[in-house]
Amino acid sequence: MTATPIPTPARKYDLSFARWVYQNIEGADRLSLCMQCGMCSGSCPIGPEMDNGPRKLFMMIRAGMKEEVLSSSTIWNCTQCYNCVVRCPRKVPVTYILQGLATVAAREGYAPAKPTAKFSRSFWRSVRWFGRTDERMVTMLYFFSYGIKEGIRRALANLPIAQRMVKAGRMGIGLPHRTKGAGSLRAILAKAEEIEARGRASQ
Amino acid sequence: MSKIRFTYYPGCSSQGAGIHLDRSLHAISRKLDFELETIKDWNCCGASVGHVKGGKLPSLALSGRNLALARSQSPADVVTPCAACYLNTHWANERIKNEPKVREQVDDALGAGGLTYWGDLKVRHICEVLVNEVGIGSIREQVTNPLSGLKVAGWVGCQTVRPFAGTESGGQYTTYDQPKFLDEFTEACGAEAVPFDKARTSCCGGSVAIYSPEKTLHLMRHVLNEAQDAGADVISTPCPLCQQNLEMYQEAINKQFGDSFNIPVVFYSQLMAVAFGMDGKKDAALDCNMIKPEKLIDKVK
Repeated sequence: MTATPIPTPARKYDLSFARWVYQNIEGADRLSLCMQCGMCSGSCPIGPEMDNGPRKLFMMIRAGMKEEVLSSSTIWNCTQCYNCVVRCPRKVPVTYILQGLATVAAREGYAPAKPTAKFSRSFWRSVRWFGRTDERMVTMLYFFSYGIKEGIRRALANLPIAQRMVKAGRMGIGLPHRTKGAGSLRAILAKAEEIEARGRASQ
Repeated sequence: MSKIRFTYYPGCSSQGAGIHLDRSLHAISRKLDFELETIKDWNCCGASVGHVKGGKLPSLALSGRNLALARSQSPADVVTPCAACYLNTHWANERIKNEPKVREQVDDALGAGGLTYWGDLKVRHICEVLVNEVGIGSIREQVTNPLSGLKVAGWVGCQTVRPFAGTESGGQYTTYDQPKFLDEFTEACGAEAVPFDKARTSCCGGSVAIYSPEKTLHLMRHVLNEAQDAGADVISTPCPLCQQNLEMYQEAINKQFGDSFNIPVVFYSQLMAVAFGMDGKKDAALDCNMIKPEKLIDKVK
């Protein structure tokens, strides 16, 4: 779908990848204002689960490290707490940039097996089919995205929680909740995808 | 005073894991004299993971459809109780309102479903409405069953206040640093708000806690530790995912860290329903909490 491929820098100090990010990831036009203060990484609740953290990731973008950036766990483990967004002294919308990078990395096939990408696929499928998130549907699609055997193992491991949810009246046992106009929602989403793809093609 | 009317976006959790937030909100709305008219045939907002597979514009279009439906129903403000629903819907609305290109693209996509939306609604979090429109005073006036002696840790979490609290479009009702509104709700109900400054806006791990819980258990433990140290009987929160995660994973946390947590996590609206003297099940939905808030249940009239 991408018309112009994402540039892969061939030498040191090649800014082609950085420029691509600045121009194609929403909010990343502010990245050139990053002064590497580290407020974002220092504010991050899940920093220990990230290989680089946002500060370092942003420097890696400037350094043209495309492969490392798009395979980085930093973009996958963001919990979307927005601490970095409200604290950045240069008003870099860090969370939004990580979201944009995650979308690109998923689309370009960088991390199909990462839990976030798998979970997002399951989630989006529920939204597309039914217009709503059915927690049972999303978790089952996600568990079984690891294969039948692992799916059964995960489903069984989570059975006690599911039973407690059912008992508390917070998980139904009937058909999935759905939007009546799910068909028209699908048409809207298809149109939005088409417009977005057209935008990419004209870049 | 005539009833204040809002268009209500309940969000997906209202039909599942967060059913007790929805039920208790409708209950207190009757006492506090505001009306919630649900968006007919609403859809998911995309939560915090949809964008990875869905992309930016389709994610905006999800909120666009809800807003178009809301607008065709009424010009009233759209309110939502869910942190992620608020974040996505408010963000989409502000962009549609302020960025002509986004407005055109979303409207173009909506056209495929026979809808249109041009950004003339206001999207609000229901806590902001309770503070700014209903007022803490009106909440206090409705209390017939003060929750005296109940110690409550007010855990705000992330997306209810970040990044929009303290901004003009976010209603200016609080800031993202040490927001006060949950403690004000607690005290209006006659309960005691315990000190909770370290974890007040701490993250539970959000959706990462659903697909990779092992990465986030220590985050929830941080919240539970402070609540325990402060002697809280219950933790009160506005966020359906915070409520679910913190309740659901206490056993796993106990197992991994050798703790013995069993702290109930309730919604502020459940506290209000009890304090307003309403029914413990039908109105406060206390039967929906997996860790039973015994001390709160004891106070039900």
